[in-house]
Amino acid sequence: MTAAVLDRIDDDLWSAIGDPTRRRMVDLLLADGGGTATTLSDQLPVTRQAVAKHLAVLDRVALVRATPIGREKRYRVDEAQLARAVAQLTSVGSAWDARLQRIKRIAESIQRTKKH
Amino acid sequence: MEFGTIEREIFVEASPEVVFEVVSSPSHLQQWWPDEAHYEPVAGSKGDIVFGQHGNDAAVVAFTVVEVRPPRTFSFRWTHPAEEPAVPGNSLFVTFDLTPSGNGTLLKMTESGFREMGWDIALLEQQYNDHVTGWDYYLPRLVSYAATARVQQ
Repeated sequence: MTAAVLDRIDDDLWSAIGDPTRRRMVDLLLADGGGTATTLSDQLPVTRQAVAKHLAVLDRVALVRATPIGREKRYRVDEAQLARAVAQLTSVGSAWDARLQRIKRIAESIQRTKKH
Repeated sequence: MEFGTIEREIFVEASPEVVFEVVSSPSHLQQWWPDEAHYEPVAGSKGDIVFGQHGNDAAVVAFTVVEVRPPRTFSFRWTHPAEEPAVPGNSLFVTFDLTPSGNGTLLKMTESGFREMGWDIALLEQQYNDHVTGWDYYLPRLVSYAATARVQQ
């Protein structure tokens, strides 16, 4: 599957989520259920202008979708597109990293249950 | 990284006993790796793990438990020919080492055998797709707090 999968990798999508600030933004948008350049810049050590530029990059690869509200745009993560990016990452990235993350999540969830 | 060996370490906020159960029991294994796991978590147990649905392109892969030392070590060999005993040279060898650390466990995973078996096996390893994909993989790295991760399950 390797060659075929590699062929399908979308360079833009990769570079869009390859940037730590943009990953953090997607993180915040997922956590908050959406946000604007203003709300994001309030939570990040970058200017509103910089956030707007990053949002434009994410918008271009359809990782986020914008809805106008007043003079601003409200952004939400496009889950289908993120899932596609995820699938590509999964194929190429280390399978063990993914397995260990799942082990961690399962064990921690069991541990939390035991404490209650 | 030594050529032919994959090493990973991850801190888990759970006791070694809990982590050991998750890495070693067949019911948990199929939560984080194959679709099905058939073996007894005792040294020498021979079984298999299944990727995909039975019948339809399912890959049944031999799985032999090597060492079970709760809550410190669990190791197994896999990918050997089903009719052969699992030995160095015909299988990949996976070891989980657990060390208590602070309020949790340091989990170290080593997979070796690639050098002996050649890199074809590494490609083969990739073909055994984990049945869990997508959110399960990406979200824990993307979102650092459990609240959101739980929402996505």
